[in-house]
Amino acid sequence: MFRRSRRNAEDKKEKVHRPSRATRLFVVLRKLKKSEMAIAGLGIVSFMSMVALLAPIIAPYAPEWKGIARQAPSMEHFFGTDNLGRDMLTLIMHGARISIYVGVASVLIEVVIGLSVGMAAGYFGGIIDEILMRIADVIFTLPTLMMLLLAVSMFQVRGIHIIILVIGGLGWPFLARVVRSEYLSFREETYVEAAKSMGATSWRIMVRHILPNILSVVIVIATMDIPWAILYEATLTFLGFGDPASSSWGVLLQRGEEHLRTSWWIMTFPGVALLITSLGFNLLGDGLRDALDIKLRE
Amino acid sequence: MPLRDYVIRRTIIIVPTFFLITIVIFTLIHLAPGDPTAIMGGPRGLPPEIRDAIKREYGLDQPILVQYFVWIGKLLRGDLGFSYINQQPVWQMIAERIQLTLELLLTAEIVSIVIAVILGVIAAVKHRSITDAACSVGALVGYSTPDFWLAMVLILTFSTQLKLFPSSQPYSVGVPFASPFDAFLDHLRHLFLPVVSLIILWTAYLFRMVRSAMLEVLTHDYVTTARAKGVKEWIVIYKHALRNAMLPIVTYVGNSVGFLLSGAAVIEYIFAWPGLGALMVQRTELRDYPALMGLSIAIAIGVLIANLCSDIAYAMVDPRIRYD
Repeated sequence: MFRRSRRNAEDKKEKVHRPSRATRLFVVLRKLKKSEMAIAGLGIVSFMSMVALLAPIIAPYAPEWKGIARQAPSMEHFFGTDNLGRDMLTLIMHGARISIYVGVASVLIEVVIGLSVGMAAGYFGGIIDEILMRIADVIFTLPTLMMLLLAVSMFQVRGIHIIILVIGGLGWPFLARVVRSEYLSFREETYVEAAKSMGATSWRIMVRHILPNILSVVIVIATMDIPWAILYEATLTFLGFGDPASSSWGVLLQRGEEHLRTSWWIMTFPGVALLITSLGFNLLGDGLRDALDIKLRE
Repeated sequence: MPLRDYVIRRTIIIVPTFFLITIVIFTLIHLAPGDPTAIMGGPRGLPPEIRDAIKREYGLDQPILVQYFVWIGKLLRGDLGFSYINQQPVWQMIAERIQLTLELLLTAEIVSIVIAVILGVIAAVKHRSITDAACSVGALVGYSTPDFWLAMVLILTFSTQLKLFPSSQPYSVGVPFASPFDAFLDHLRHLFLPVVSLIILWTAYLFRMVRSAMLEVLTHDYVTTARAKGVKEWIVIYKHALRNAMLPIVTYVGNSVGFLLSGAAVIEYIFAWPGLGALMVQRTELRDYPALMGLSIAIAIGVLIANLCSDIAYAMVDPRIRYD
């Protein structure tokens, strides 16, 4: 009897103080649904992800298939063929796999580093905070492409994983700064103090009490950084620092530039695919930011 | 704190930042395992005795910390080293090309700031109108466009198809000019396509900042008060709103210099514009790492100066910032 009543009281208290997780999710979804841009973004992102996932099944030709070189777009080859006679639509579909993979993988690395650095800076404070944030500032202000080139230049092997590592390894400063400032503001909350007084370890406070509160900011920044990761991968491979044997959109565009004056379609369609994908993630990122009502401050 | 003290203090902070930058650049270059002689000489590599000779010549056989201090020591004396490829002093390579880069950057930056501010103000004032929506969607598309692809599209339309503008090099080669004025016109025609690509990309980027800064300012009470007092709308917008919105805009522009330079390098590369960015890409291909380190330092100093200028400009318009 006693137990039951106590639980009821707890339930009530929770309802008064803040809506449950499901309700909050519902509010966010409703806001997202109202924003046409976010829906468009979500549509584009899902479409591109489906294409990437199903590329081997839905592509009209095999990626190795070769016909007559440099055919203009026709009913047989919607996007024409490249300089080796391969079907452009097929290559673009397979390229989507690489782009989406790079976008997600490098942003995951970025999130891991950004979260750790931001939390560590906020938690330890003092000299460690100062050093970490100065490094973040320097990486943030220097031209990204310059640093990517520097980091890529000295590797003997060239390939997608080096690029993912480099993009993720240099992309974290903004996220770290935001995580740090969020951490500092949440550290002052009463529930953190309460947890502390109950003897919770600082690790537990960080992971169980503070992390869930800054998750939405992290998700928004991660979504907004995916298009940049995708664009930088394409740029690096376009400039010749990727794997020339892959069908990354950057490689296709590089070939397109070589044949720019004779076959416009080789360079046009991979570029459009790149533009649409990055637009999709940007729309989704902007929509999420507005729906979760996040002001990105440093 | 008077402005003079702020400027002095802000300038002194550059010194530790500069050293941190040298550490970051040095680390990035030495991230990869092995040493540069392993990748010189193509796929077959160099014979070991030549590799050892090169290592001794460039001090690569020293421990990494010693290498760093040797490099810093030379750097502080203004010695950026010599290129691996043609033994040219690196500072000379930079001096030869910096003018072309600055020309491209400054032209594009000034024009895009002007366009972005005008459009941003209009979009913010007519918030949620058709104009606002059109500008915002346009900016988002521009923001999502791969820079090198945009450059190729411009080349395809204006150079290959319409034959209006040349697509590479800053000057026509091998054409005698009747007068210096003709040569200047020719140069402008070559400048057009790279500058337009940069303007499109940067305007899209800056527009989003101006618009959100203006939207923020327009919600303030003093704007409502000014309107309530019957101040003319355009005075409210220019005197009350835009002047205050300029503060975040100045910082944004200063902070985005690094970002903008990334795009400029790709544009230079595609238009065969022999500036610092194109040189950087080319030397990365050749793995000419004294040149890469020298170039990065030069670019980093440029970014530092740009940030310094924007911070000082900020402190000049907004006295509050000096009391930080």
